Amino acid sequence: MAAGPLDRRELLRRASAFATAGGLGAYRNLSIAAAAGGGHPLAPRPGHFPSKAKNLIVFFMTGGFSHLDTFDYKPRLQADHDREVGGRKVLASPYAFRPRGESGKMVSELFEHVGGVVDEFCFLHTVHGDSAGHSAATLGMHTGSVTIPLPSLGSWISYGLGTRNTDLPSFVVLAAKEPYNGFQVWDSNFLPSYHKGARVVPGADPLPDVNSPVESASLRDLEAQMLRDLNESHLSGREGDDVLASRMATFDTAYGLMREAPEAFDLGRESAETLRLYGAEAGDPSSFGAQCLTARRLVERGVRVVELFDVGSNTNWDSHNDIEDHRKLSRNVDRPIAALVADLKRRGLLDETLIVGCSEFGRTPWQDLTPVGRGHHSRCFTCFLAGGGVRGGYSHGVSDEYGDSPAEDPVHVHDFHATILHLMGLDHTRLTYRYSGRDFRLTDVYGEVVRDVIA
Amino acid sequence: MLGGKAIFGASMMIGLCLAPCASGSGEAADEEFFETRVRPVLAGTCVKCHGADKVSGGLRLDSREAMLEGGDSGPAIEPGDPGGSLLIEAIRQEEPLLRMPPGDDPLPRQTIADLVSWVEGGARWPEAVEAAGPLDADAHWAFGPLRPVEPPEDPNGWAELPIDRLIASEQRELGIRPVERADRRTLIRRAYFDLIGLPPPPDRIERFVDDPDPDAFGRLVDELLAMPQYGERWGRYWLDLARYADTAGDNSDYPIPEAYLYRDYVIDAFSDDVPYDRFLHEQLAGDILAAEGPEGDYARRVIATGFIAQSKRFGTRKLEDIHQIIEDTLNTTGQVVLGLSLRCARCHDHKYDPISARDYYALYGFFAGTKYPFAGAEEDHRPSEFAPLVPKGRLSDFEEEHSEAIDRLRAELAELKASSTLPDLGLAAAVEEFVGLGERADRARAELAKASRTIERQAGRLSDRIAQLEESGPGAFAPKAYAVRDGEATDAELQKGGDPRTLGEVVPRGVPRALDPSGTIELPGSGSGRLALARWLTEGPPRALTARVMVNRIWQHHFGRPIVATPSDFGVRGTPPTHPDLLEWLAADFIASGWSIKAMHRRIMASETYRLSSRIDSANAEVDTGNVRYWRFDRRPLDAEALRDSLLALGGNLRLDRPGPHPFPDTDTWRYTAHHQFKALYPTDHRSVYLMVQRLHPHPYLSLFNGPDTSVTTASRDSSTVALQALYLLNNPFVHEQAAGFADRLIADEPDPEARLDLAFLRAYGRAPSGAERSRAAAFLGRYEEGLAEEGCGDDRREVDAWAALARAVLASNEFFHVD
Repeated sequence: MAAGPLDRRELLRRASAFATAGGLGAYRNLSIAAAAGGGHPLAPRPGHFPSKAKNLIVFFMTGGFSHLDTFDYKPRLQADHDREVGGRKVLASPYAFRPRGESGKMVSELFEHVGGVVDEFCFLHTVHGDSAGHSAATLGMHTGSVTIPLPSLGSWISYGLGTRNTDLPSFVVLAAKEPYNGFQVWDSNFLPSYHKGARVVPGADPLPDVNSPVESASLRDLEAQMLRDLNESHLSGREGDDVLASRMATFDTAYGLMREAPEAFDLGRESAETLRLYGAEAGDPSSFGAQCLTARRLVERGVRVVELFDVGSNTNWDSHNDIEDHRKLSRNVDRPIAALVADLKRRGLLDETLIVGCSEFGRTPWQDLTPVGRGHHSRCFTCFLAGGGVRGGYSHGVSDEYGDSPAEDPVHVHDFHATILHLMGLDHTRLTYRYSGRDFRLTDVYGEVVRDVIA
Repeated sequence: MLGGKAIFGASMMIGLCLAPCASGSGEAADEEFFETRVRPVLAGTCVKCHGADKVSGGLRLDSREAMLEGGDSGPAIEPGDPGGSLLIEAIRQEEPLLRMPPGDDPLPRQTIADLVSWVEGGARWPEAVEAAGPLDADAHWAFGPLRPVEPPEDPNGWAELPIDRLIASEQRELGIRPVERADRRTLIRRAYFDLIGLPPPPDRIERFVDDPDPDAFGRLVDELLAMPQYGERWGRYWLDLARYADTAGDNSDYPIPEAYLYRDYVIDAFSDDVPYDRFLHEQLAGDILAAEGPEGDYARRVIATGFIAQSKRFGTRKLEDIHQIIEDTLNTTGQVVLGLSLRCARCHDHKYDPISARDYYALYGFFAGTKYPFAGAEEDHRPSEFAPLVPKGRLSDFEEEHSEAIDRLRAELAELKASSTLPDLGLAAAVEEFVGLGERADRARAELAKASRTIERQAGRLSDRIAQLEESGPGAFAPKAYAVRDGEATDAELQKGGDPRTLGEVVPRGVPRALDPSGTIELPGSGSGRLALARWLTEGPPRALTARVMVNRIWQHHFGRPIVATPSDFGVRGTPPTHPDLLEWLAADFIASGWSIKAMHRRIMASETYRLSSRIDSANAEVDTGNVRYWRFDRRPLDAEALRDSLLALGGNLRLDRPGPHPFPDTDTWRYTAHHQFKALYPTDHRSVYLMVQRLHPHPYLSLFNGPDTSVTTASRDSSTVALQALYLLNNPFVHEQAAGFADRLIADEPDPEARLDLAFLRAYGRAPSGAERSRAAAFLGRYEEGLAEEGCGDDRREVDAWAALARAVLASNEFFHVD
């Protein structure tokens, strides 16, 4: 099946028709790739180089989860409890740590289950960002910008790689509650809007309007055919207008979603054993376990990026008053995260799925509002990676003895983003989009790939 | 086979795209990096002692050449090798003898890192910046006075009116001929959606089609311009530019119940065809104009300055980061009125546009001397500083209300102090301590502290409120708008590098020299001077630019495509006009008409160019695929408002009256924070321009259909089509409700099914169905009713349900969604 010679004029005609789609498109610059061959704008595209990871799952723990009480064990912090250092009082972690796995990684009791699969994980202990405010830092972790909103990480990956199943969105966000900054966190901003994260509110009706009020499938088909015929009749005499054809195509995608989404979100098709593994057996579709299981089902069906938010912009990891609050929050996520890694592994999907876990920042080694609370800490905190070509059982970067600042190998948020893109087969310096007279990147003019974390 | 070809095509195209983008990106990224991270440091810190005025150590740091040449100690930089560069060594302050900058604190860590990466990357000094040199205002197409234009005769006899002659001359160069005129059915639907954003009623269509008057279309245009729905449609374009929202955009997104006054003012101003120059004076200085009388205009003129008040708010405290609020004002005003971005000049001289940091702070003074309203914020829940809508002399009318309110608050405060629970908690803490349970005592003490904090906070709030009322006087009870008040004459200090803590010289208020070489305007002895600034925009040297920018916007909304593709960027980086002479002619005509927007509508809509069919002519398309030369009329999708309003209209549910204020919760209940932001949806059957829109939380419907971005001035909306929009049209209950209403009305209005189908097509598409469509629809209705019967649907419901299904297909169809 040799592809015919490229009709360059035809391609350019379509490209320019797309560029002017809807009249005002010319300076919103729809991607030329989207116009190519009239194909689906989300059709899969090769990355800049081969990579193991094909899909990305991000866990975002809203509120600032403490590195010091989870994965960055600091003996000095424990020893100096209540001592004054630099005018602030040290707060030791109230949680017990012990070495786990073959790597002997020190993990606190908060992540008992993750500890059980810790050799799959790679920790970055010296991540630092540009803001210690929730809203700005959450935006920064998602878009690389702590000031003006820009396209999110998931949108950039959708733009770079397209998706493997155009019946489903390329980027799905599972969030029962809104994080700080709301939709800006998964917005495509100036990238074409089909790269926007499709937010799914876990529960009975996950995608808006995916279920038809018309119950009978045969009546729905009659109506779909009537719509198609109206559009065909309108198109005759208006041939050559790709805008009309591409809008007709969105209805086909919508029917695809109506067909596939209910099945993709239906956890009733999972075995009792799997449900138990995730702690989702209670059947609450909005539980974090159910969300993790949904993430796996989506990735299996070709969704490129799934991001999960465990909590929203209140009652979250923001433990100013009492670091004990972390216990309840970790109980919610520990087992499902470990289950997802184990489940992907046994299905042979872990290699091609990159797992990322982070928060907008960490928490202070010092006491905050109360003697048992910790404040915001963006100077040094911990993120983790797993699967997708990541070096398991490895910890990168060393924080100082209180976990206050990076001591070795600092990793800026831009570096973190560059590394994630690299693991997905994308060169962060070449993944650009021209907007408003400038080529934008996720990493602005910064970012260095942390090569040590690659297996 | 086909699929394979398509994928092959896709990969080829991304190849084509990424290669040039990648090389381009390097350059652009370098340039941006240099401009934002390197130049400000060199210019702000180093060049003081190492520049043209002073050459310490024989070293200059004001050009790449000078750095390479170096000074007494050798070259300052080794491109590619930060470790071997004296400049880097000096700023790292590793050598005691070579520490820069001298005396001061070392440069911030980020700055040092930036300079290191700059040297590492080869110390590129973007050539484009050098080559552009100082910008010459006369040379740039947008900045000069209007050029007289003589529209050439059209030898083909197609064009008679000036607009058409200017269009035709550009077409002739390419050998393009315009297509035929659109038929009257197409034309009336086009005009209705264009001017009022609603579909034409069938009887009006028929009257227009049968109208023998050669000026039938002119009369139709006049009729539409006179309808109140015109202001709702065209005012919305201005609201997009003014980044209108009903909330403030601070981190908790406080509601602004008074914001709607500005929205309604804009709608009325368009309906009344307020001359654009006067409209601008009102936007920027209505509060000052108001004081000049007459009293009848006082309120609306004050309300007009909502344009300034709508600037985005930041943070958690009252008017926090005022320099950013003013930046939003300047940046929005610059882009909207002059098509000039001023933002970059906040931190450094603009390198692309001829705006210096001095120019920026000269303009800044006008707004530093302006009092912005405060909507409330996380640490101060109560709105204040709103602009009264009555003249100063009338404020005493509200004295009684004022003193009653203060008495009430004082009583509340006294009660709070009396009913305090503190003693109990204090006792509990003391007991725990006495018993010797350290941990429990800590907790009890913490609780005590917390409780006393709460009471202190409440008492503090009451006292603040009392103080506030005492200070503001009886005026606190006058009706108010989210608008600005004039303050003291203020000349701002230059903020070095855009940092409000690092102040430089005082810059007297003035105007950008590139637009007015004197750089100054005559200012009144007191007040902010905004009225002088506003008048300078329309009567001073930028008059031509102001007119060009506005006629371009009007043209844009009539044709779906502007003459200058970057409607809010007429600067050096903007796109030059596709029809320079046309732009000049329109601008001159606009001014000559007394800045009448409605006159401009009439002028444009009277042209043959506006009345062309949207048919694609393959010979023309071969030469001009994108229809840049206007040989056809571009088919356009409905925008979010037109779609929703049309659905409501066909469903028989559209309310055309004006809704007034939104049902926000009472001000006294406001406790919004970043953790508990204000967020609400207020459903309504009024036109979509009246939906409550927030800055931080997009309206779900409007954002799904590419509605306005309320966080930033929007010159042109995105028009992408996505599957979620299709899902909405297929399944959303709102659409089903309108379709059912559409079907009910059809059945009620027309008992005969054939005539009913005609009516359905007329209402939705403006035309009768073809024979094929007629039989297709009949077959559908028949089969659908059969299907319903099989599903067990009762006889009485079948007809209604089948027609509702047909209505849904019609409302989701391309023909309904597009205007030819």
